[in-house]
Amino acid sequence: MVKMSLHLVQVMQKVSPSANGDSRASWEEDEEEDEEEDEDHLGLPTTTKPPKPENAVTVAVSSRVLFRTELEQKVFEQKGVEEYLRYQIEHENEPFAPGPAFPFVKALETVNARLRELYPQSEELFDIVLVTYNHAHVGIRLINTINHHNLFIERFCMTGGSSPIGYLKAWHTNLYLSADADKVREALAEGIAAATMFMTEKLTEVSESQLRVAFDGDAVLFSDESERIFKAHGLDKFFQHERDNEDTLLDHGPLKGFLEALGKLQKKFYAKGQRLDCPIRTYLVTARSAASSGIRALKTLRAWGLEIDEALFLAGAPKGPMLEKIRPHIYFDDQMFHVEGAAEMGTVAAHVPYGVAQKHNQPQNPGVRK
Amino acid sequence: MVKMSLHLVQVMQKVSPSANGDSRASWEEDEEEDEEEDEDHLGLPTTTKPVTGRRARKVEGGVFFPKPENAVTVAVSSRVLFRTELEQKVFEQKGVEEYLRYQIEHENEPFAPGPAFPFVKALETVNARLRELYPQSEELFDIVLVTYNHAHVGIRLINTINHHNLFIERFCMTGGSSPIGYLKAWHTNLYLSADADKVREALAEGIAAATMFMTEKLTEVSESQLRVAFDGDAVLFSDESERIFKAHGLDKFFQHERDNEDTLLDHGPLKGFLEALGKLQKKFYAKGQRLDCPIRTYLVTARSAASSGIRALKTLRAWGLEIDEALFLAGAPKGPMLEKIRPHIYFDDQMFHVEGAAEMGTVAAHVPYGVAQKHNQPQNPGVRK
Repeated sequence: MVKMSLHLVQVMQKVSPSANGDSRASWEEDEEEDEEEDEDHLGLPTTTKPPKPENAVTVAVSSRVLFRTELEQKVFEQKGVEEYLRYQIEHENEPFAPGPAFPFVKALETVNARLRELYPQSEELFDIVLVTYNHAHVGIRLINTINHHNLFIERFCMTGGSSPIGYLKAWHTNLYLSADADKVREALAEGIAAATMFMTEKLTEVSESQLRVAFDGDAVLFSDESERIFKAHGLDKFFQHERDNEDTLLDHGPLKGFLEALGKLQKKFYAKGQRLDCPIRTYLVTARSAASSGIRALKTLRAWGLEIDEALFLAGAPKGPMLEKIRPHIYFDDQMFHVEGAAEMGTVAAHVPYGVAQKHNQPQNPGVRK
Repeated sequence: MVKMSLHLVQVMQKVSPSANGDSRASWEEDEEEDEEEDEDHLGLPTTTKPVTGRRARKVEGGVFFPKPENAVTVAVSSRVLFRTELEQKVFEQKGVEEYLRYQIEHENEPFAPGPAFPFVKALETVNARLRELYPQSEELFDIVLVTYNHAHVGIRLINTINHHNLFIERFCMTGGSSPIGYLKAWHTNLYLSADADKVREALAEGIAAATMFMTEKLTEVSESQLRVAFDGDAVLFSDESERIFKAHGLDKFFQHERDNEDTLLDHGPLKGFLEALGKLQKKFYAKGQRLDCPIRTYLVTARSAASSGIRALKTLRAWGLEIDEALFLAGAPKGPMLEKIRPHIYFDDQMFHVEGAAEMGTVAAHVPYGVAQKHNQPQNPGVRK
């Protein structure tokens, strides 16, 4: 663990990620005897350096969803920047409490540990980037918090008030989680999978050994074309349209790429015979009806080469109880109605502000504004 | 009527239910003249041309997607709704990958009906009658298809459902995980599976469940009336009397029943389902359709009437459950009786009776509950997954 902190310090001092292996610190020399052992996963990992962003599945998380920062937000809003910075420095050694994205990030690290066991040289891992509007002053408190919670977050993006969206592309971000719906919309417009997260008081316990990600279908994995037809012309036309176009693939939605990235990592486990014990599990939880409109969704997934582990066609039944059984670390939906329903039952739900549903359903709880 | 469909539509696409009536779709404008007719259950214009050889699904008036807590939810495994023995063999002999490949290859070949098929068809018949009488009500049967299969296989199942003209819109494809956790979320009133272990798990969770087996011989059953037959002890009632009988013999059993005549029997795993059926039956009685009710229930018990029947009947009455026909057999074989009744499904806790019924072509489901399980291991545990 101490090694972890030292490496953090290195990144904080902005060693270039492309200098992998070239600039070895003195502590690395001691580890040379580990180099010969490919499978040394009992001792320290043989490679602790972060993967190249384009090889990894990069998840950019805002500090406000990774940790609970409501108190500090209030100080900022009520008393202004200077007071806020003073407050943060004063409380530097008090770690933040975990936020809604915390269990998700922990689970990503669990998967990484399993991946490293099987493929010690591979860079196809999850990589977490902490994105925050904060100034560098606050960095210390964040680092202290990360270490306190035993997280492995090496990459920071502290924008000191500027928009982080431009950086997301530079980080080859595969998923961006934020408390700010506007930033999320910007990211979606840039073609980056993104979702808004909210703090809930009630949080059901989630698995510590298996990452579970649940997706809505329309306007999340798929485009919102079917929802448009439904809203414009009603149920009959919707069914008709789906039947007529059964063999036409649906267009892709904003989270399709992330499901793809998860699938790629899953296949690495299958290749090593660990299908039954795979630490990543994906779920489709859709309001579609199976017989009337399910075929098109399933054919589309198959044509994309995406295997989803479990599929629930609810035909309008409430999603809350199903999600409460699944216990995903995160659930993506385009409608606030469902996000709130899930949250009521303790599921961490993230809103994807995409598609025609946004015009009809204004979020009831837009999250903390910043 | 049209407004109800809008509500459906709203539920379907997750618009907040509190926005009733505010966002009317353009198609609603055309139907305004129908608003005045209370009994219009022909409702919305339906699609008339079939597509790609499959029937057009007609969304007629009435609730089609009831909320699970309002409906009588029957969760059926794909392996009892359809005949999938061939595919099971491929899975067991050649493994997952080959199995998936096989299913995709045969995607457009519908499965043949399985043991639960006539039962599910009968549920839909009852639903049609209920919608005629109570178009706004969500108190209907709702069928959820539960399967271990991965999403790939979903297409073949959907094709099969459409081929057989079933109306099953809710799927739970668990990709290998146990479906038991989901059963509660679906407010399942009855779970039918080929897997006795899963059925036992469901019973332990308090969900009525039974194991079904494929029989070669199947007698014809009514297409207009759902008939459900129940054993008494350890199915509708608890197994307390059976315990006494097995421990102390017939005399003590009779003694015990007489002594406790006015003490209600404790409830058994299928009591709740009988209750749900009774609730739906009362809806038909309320509309003067007692003689023509499309649901009929039967008690087929090995109990003897005079010696031990009173306690059973008093218990049913105290529970407010009316059973239509009661056969006290005092040990006579159940097979011939069931063959006359022709139930769509018969629930019994003893494999001996389940097999006896199956031999005569009755669809019998085993309820693995109570003391009889220790004495009678299932002869035919069903196909193992």
